[in-house]
Formats: sequence, C-alpha cells, structure tokens
Amino acid sequence: MRTLFTIPVAGLLLATVATLAHAASGPGEPQIWVVDSSTTGVLVEDHRAPLVELRLVLPVGGWSAWPPRSYAVGAAWDLQFRDPRGVLRARADRLAADVSFSGDAHSFTFAVGCRREDLDSVLVLVRDILANRAFDAREIARRNRTNVIEWKAGQRNPDYMLSLTARRLLWRENDPRAWPLKPWRIGGDVARLAAARDSLLRLPRRCVGIAGDLTRTEAERVAAGLMPPATNYPPALLESGLKPVRPADLRPRDETVSLPRLTQVYFKYVRHALPLGASDWPALLVANHVLGGNFYSRLSSALRHEGGYTYSASSGFGVEPDTTMYEIGTYTRTASADTVERRIRAVLATFRERGITEEERAAAVGFLQGRRTFQRQSPAQVLDRFLWERVRGLAPGARDAAVDRAAALSLDEINAAIRRFYDPAAFTMIRARVK
Amino acid sequence: MIQPRQARSARAGRRLLLALSLLGLAWALLGTAYAATPPGFIHEVLPNGMEVSILPDPSHPIVATRVWYDVGAANEDPGTRGFVHLFEHLMFGGTATRDKRAYWDHHHACGGSSNAYTDWDETVYQSDIPPAGHGQVLEMEADRMIHLRLDQENLDNEKRIVTEELRMRTENDPMTRVQLAALKGVLREHPYAVSPVGTREDIAAVSLERVRDFYARYYKPRNAHLIVVGPVDGDSLLSDVRRIFGALPAAGVTPPDVPPPLGWPCPPEVDLKEDLPPAKIAFLAYMLPPPSAPDADAIAVLCELLAGGYANPYHEDLVVRRRKALFGEVMRLDLRRGGPFVFVSGVLPNRSKADQFRDMGETVKNLGRKDWLTDESLAALKRKLMRRYENQNYFAADRAEAIGAERWWTGDVGRAFDRAERIGAVTRGQVAAAFDRYIGEASPVRIYIEPERIPLLVRMFGWLLPLFVHA
Repeated sequence: MRTLFTIPVAGLLLATVATLAHAASGPGEPQIWVVDSSTTGVLVEDHRAPLVELRLVLPVGGWSAWPPRSYAVGAAWDLQFRDPRGVLRARADRLAADVSFSGDAHSFTFAVGCRREDLDSVLVLVRDILANRAFDAREIARRNRTNVIEWKAGQRNPDYMLSLTARRLLWRENDPRAWPLKPWRIGGDVARLAAARDSLLRLPRRCVGIAGDLTRTEAERVAAGLMPPATNYPPALLESGLKPVRPADLRPRDETVSLPRLTQVYFKYVRHALPLGASDWPALLVANHVLGGNFYSRLSSALRHEGGYTYSASSGFGVEPDTTMYEIGTYTRTASADTVERRIRAVLATFRERGITEEERAAAVGFLQGRRTFQRQSPAQVLDRFLWERVRGLAPGARDAAVDRAAALSLDEINAAIRRFYDPAAFTMIRARVK
Repeated sequence: MIQPRQARSARAGRRLLLALSLLGLAWALLGTAYAATPPGFIHEVLPNGMEVSILPDPSHPIVATRVWYDVGAANEDPGTRGFVHLFEHLMFGGTATRDKRAYWDHHHACGGSSNAYTDWDETVYQSDIPPAGHGQVLEMEADRMIHLRLDQENLDNEKRIVTEELRMRTENDPMTRVQLAALKGVLREHPYAVSPVGTREDIAAVSLERVRDFYARYYKPRNAHLIVVGPVDGDSLLSDVRRIFGALPAAGVTPPDVPPPLGWPCPPEVDLKEDLPPAKIAFLAYMLPPPSAPDADAIAVLCELLAGGYANPYHEDLVVRRRKALFGEVMRLDLRRGGPFVFVSGVLPNRSKADQFRDMGETVKNLGRKDWLTDESLAALKRKLMRRYENQNYFAADRAEAIGAERWWTGDVGRAFDRAERIGAVTRGQVAAAFDRYIGEASPVRIYIEPERIPLLVRMFGWLLPLFVHA
C-alpha cells in the first residue's frame, strides 16, 4: 500500500516541480566557456520550451580580407548543404530541423534549430554537412544563371538602383562595402569550393553558440568536437579587407539614375556614417532617431504629416565597428519631387543649425533604452546579439552600453555632434526618376 | 513461465502506477505546449458585444495588445477600393481629447511600438509595450473607438499619403506589378482580386461623409476583438477592460462574408507581359477552401509538405531531377475565405509556353504518386509545426496575432491553443485526400508571364542554350 501511494505522489511532485521550473521567466545571461584553444562556447539557457538553437560562427565575413578574394567562399558556405542527391536536405526535413547559412560583414554562420528530442540526430547531421565535399555542380550552374536574372531584375527596381549607386559613390571599387557592382558568379570547381569551405571552418576565434532548453553540462557536450580542429592561419587573413573611403570631395554632389515607368521620384541622400567606436557615435544614435528614426521624426513630420508628400521618410545607418553608409531616404509623386528635395535640404539645415530640443532628446533616449526589452524575448535573440558583438571583437553588451552612453549625454553635447556630422558638404543626393 | 497470480498482479499494479507517474510527469513537462487552454486564459463577450481575450504570461517582457476589427479590404464595394486601408490611417488622427501624436508619443517614450495593418479580411491595431506603459493603452484604444476626430484636412492629407504608399507598393517594381495583375486576372471580380491598398481613383473619390458612416458602422464594440498577451494580472485587467470598454455603447455590425475563391468562376488561362528580365514565368493556381473547412488541418499539412521543406518535392522533381526549370516555387495566399495555392516555374526565354506548362503538369502529376507522403515525412512535419508553434510562444505579439486570427478566421478562439493536437491528429489518408481533391482532380488556372523584350541574340540562338545552361 505504501508503495502504491508513494510512486504516484512522487510522480506528481516531480511533475509539479518540473512545471514550475518550466514556467520560469525568460532567457538567461550568456554563459561562456572554452571549447578548445580556437573555439568559444556560449549558452543562453531557457527552459520554457523544448527547443534548441545552435550557431556555428566563423569570425570572417564579407568585409574580411580573406573571403572577398573569391565569392566562392561565401557560396561554398551555403553549398555544403546542397549535395547532388539532396540526401542532407531530406535528412533535415525528417528531423524537422531549421537549417540556414548566412554571412554578414564580419561572420559566416551555420544556424540550426530543432526540438530538443531531435538534437542528437541533428548533431550527426551537422557533422555530416560540415564534412560534405560533394557539392552539387548543377546547382552552381543554376545559381550563376539565376544570379544574372536577379541582377537584371534589380536594374528595374528603384530602391536597388539607389543602393547600388550609393555604394558605388561612397566606396572604392575594390572595397567590399561597394559590392556587388556586377552579378555574382560562383567560380571554381567543386573541389576548390569544398576546400574553401574547409579552410573557413578551420579558422581560429570561432564560436559555438547554443540557446534554449539545455543545461550547461549538456551544452558543453554538444559543443565539444562539433567542428574540426582549427589551423593556425596567418593573422593577416582575418584582418579587415576594407579600403580607405572615397572622400566627399571626390564624389559628385548629385547623381540621377533613370528607370522606365516610375510613377515616383526616389531619393537617397547619403554620406559616410560613424563607426561604432567613434566618440560621436552615441550622439549620432540620438540625433538620427530624432531626424528620421521614428514616426514623428523631423523628416517624417515635414514630408508625410505636413503635406502628405510621401508615405515614408527616414534616416539610418549600419551599426558596425567600421565606417558604414548614412542614408536619408524617401519618395514622392513626380510633381512634388522638387518640393520634397528642397524640404529634405531645409530640414537638414535647420537640424544642423538649431539641433534638437530637450524634449526630443528625452523621448529618443526613453525609446532607445526601452527598446532593449524587445531584444530579450527569446533565447536566440540574446545569443545572436552576443555573437554579433563577439565576432566584432566588442565587449559583451557593447551596444547596450552605447545606448547608456547616449543617455548620459547632455543636450549641448548632442547638438555639438550634430553640427559636426550633418554638414551638407558631406552628403550626396541620389535620385531615381522615370526614364 | 507462469507467474503466481498475486505476484503478477502486484507487478502489473506497479507498472500501471509507474506509467501513470510518468504520464503525469510527461503532462507537466509538455503542459505548456499541449494544454488546450493555457492557465489563466480569459475569453469573454462584454454586454455591448465586444469580445475580449486575455492571456497572462509573466515570462513575456512586453505586453502585446491587438484590437481586431472584423472588416477588411474584401468588404469594400466596387468603386471604393482602398477605402478600408485609408480609414486605418485615419485612426491615428487623434480624438476629441487627445492630440494625434498622443498614441505614438506614449509608446515611443518607453520603447514601445504601435502600428496597424489592413488585410483583405481584417484591420488590426497593434501595440507592443513594456508593462509599465500598458496602463494607458486600453484607455487610448477605447477613446479612438468612440471619439475619433474625423475632419476634411486630415482626410485629404491621408489620401495623399496612402496614394504614395500605393504607388510605392504596387506601381514601381515589375515583379509586384505582374503579381497583382495575375491576381486580378485570375479572380477578376472577386473581392480578393485587388490589393488592399486599392486604386488611385477610388481613394481620390472618398468623402468625409462616407468615412463617418464607415466608422459608425464597423469601428464599434460589436465588430471588435480586444486581445492582450503578456505579464498582466488577468482578473485585474479584465476589470479594467469591463470598466473602459464595457462603458461603450452596443453598436456596430460585422460585414457579410465574402464568397470563397474555391468555386469562383476563374478563367482557364491568363496571359501577361511585363518588363521582366529574360525569363518566362508560369503559374498553376489551385483554389483551397477556407481555414474553417473540416479538412483545414490536413490542408495545412499538405501545404507544408509541398512547400515548406528543404527537399521541396515540386522543386526537387522539376528543377533538380528533371532540370526543366531554373527555379520552381510553391506559394500559398492564405486568406479567411480560402485562397490560391500556386506552383511556379521560371525558365529561360528559349522555352515555349506549351513546353513549360507541360513540364509543370508532369511534375504535378508526379506529385500525385505521393512519394513525398510517408509516415516518416508526416511525423517530421508534425514535429516541425509543433516547433514553430512553440517558438511563437516566446513572443507575446505572435500569440496575440494567433488568438485574433483563429477567432475571426475559424470562429473558435480556442484553436489558437490546440494547434499541435489538431495537426498531430492528421492522417496520411486525410492529406492524400486533400491533395486529390484540391490539386490532383482540380483544374488549375494557367498564368503565363512573358518578358516584353527578349534580347535579339536570345531570340535567334536561344535554342542553343540548353546545350550550355540549366533549363
């Protein structure tokens, strides 16, 4: 009788404890450990759902010195999932796994998501993908064809053409920030592509990131031996491939591209932005938010709310430790094009001359600080943000710290930075008009 | 070997109890994902007719609020295309006591976001905000439900704004132009045939009188559903909702249902030309029933099996195995009354229309063998969907949208919580039957899109291309 009673009670107690544990609040803080001398492990624990996200992150990307030598490296990173018979893809489907390959300025990432119960089989799949050397040659030929078609489709799209023109004007031709300036072509045979992938995989300073329903012990087991041993590459290969920017006085102040059948004129007013570590960067964060970063920004007020010239007017810049593009963008019906261009310039002139108000500063800081909550809803969000900073050599929380620095700036400090940055001589106006 | 009866009985009893214990544990471990209705969920119809759903969950860092009006672009009359979307803009125009910026400023100051969207079937107002700022959101939503300021000056300005939005979204990219032309060509006079942004002419013709009439008719409690998901106290919030929204007059109507596209008289073929790069694009469009149909879960599984995988069977057959196209995609326009399920192919311009449709038809016929439908593929797909639902549970906004959609699209708010069980119950036979009924035995609309200009060299020597390149 005692046994009969004890077992269900124990079960129910366990059940209750498990329920409480699983009802715990959101993602934890990143836990970091050394997987091996070239690999860092990161775990963001979250036991609300039986899900696991895995990230293999290599510390080179499209702006690094090494990969831009051949578009093949980036292509190889994705093609490793494309075996000719589709066996790897079919296995991913059978395991209900999300598999993706991506690259940005500073990293290439292999991301996998799965249910916890499938993790062991998914890890076998991950190893098999990383070991695959049979890339599909016909897929390479197909992509080279579709790349050309997509490029030609882009020549008919005003946003694409403005972006292409801006990149061409701001950066030198051999600077990866300018690319692509022509359709990508995957060069090399399958063996060379596979070798490129192998080299990429063996770079030092790589990360295995894990988020979700795993304990630290389990995560350490997952990360161990997942990637092949790293090779000691010359450090130069990991350095930046960026070139000195094209100075403002060496580029035109105006440029117009023509496209058929446009019913609007599209504008992009561009200059170089500040790198994340620049002393004025926190001030720029606040200034940009006031100028064009919200629904009632200066630009949106002048071009949308007053006169209905556009549906959208905004400003923004890429957040990177390197110099990126700062852009103001909008569009309007052809008949209003001159008015809108005048207004853009007038808004900017006033902004530079008078700066922002204390009320605008406080609202912008409130928004930027409050917004951080939105980045902590899922464990993958916390992990990806951590990894983003890590591959850029930034301290954990560097972006949040920049917001804190922005919040600590006085109005005078921000307005002084605005006067330095929003110099009309630094900007180029690019328009897309009907041919 | 035969066991003594008593010992057998005791062992069986222990096994039973152990099984019950494990079941209890399993239930608890999976409770969050599988429970039909999460603990604390509240669904209530206020005396004035407004529906309210509250899902308290302390693990969310933000509160998601949705006010869902059961009226969308498909409810517009001919000659008023774009009106419902225009009205959505007017809802941000302020009230008798609040400036037009008040709603935005409140969200903005604490990092929140507010927005809205107009779809064919509904118009939804979205607020996502840290808990400290949520208190005033309900007051402001109720205020604009009853005291919205509607004047000619704001109407004229918003007409100009939505016309620029229309131009940007629909007129200046060839791929968008041709997709909208295809939708119109297939559905013709059906209410789903025109994009919710409407037409320039109809937007220009909107009068203030019509705006006021629409507001009085549809933006009232009887046609609204309030959804709140996040770290809130459910009972306390319900009291607030009753006080704030319960005081509003019982008014408003729900527009009549639009006809389902399945069964709508569509033409057998639609031919279009557009300023495209040198590739020919063909669609085979099949109509699917509404999500409230009895076989809707089987259809959801079918669509995912055909369109959602890495080894997508349509692409694998047409592009990878048979090399009959440069690309092969499967798309679904999922709407409240059903919508098209479309097989797409793209080929180089040397291929003829007849060949392209023949190749697509053969692939669809090959799909009819249902090699893609096995116990293993079905089980994997169910796990995949379950994972998707569980992942949505991290985000209060996604859960609020799911609750709103299930209530309006299927008439049962509870379906937002038993999706895993329903999908889990779908059988191979049901999926096969859905394929046969809606694809295998149905006649598709054939949509063909040619580039306006084909380069001279391709026209002259295109027949040589297959010797060198794929498709």
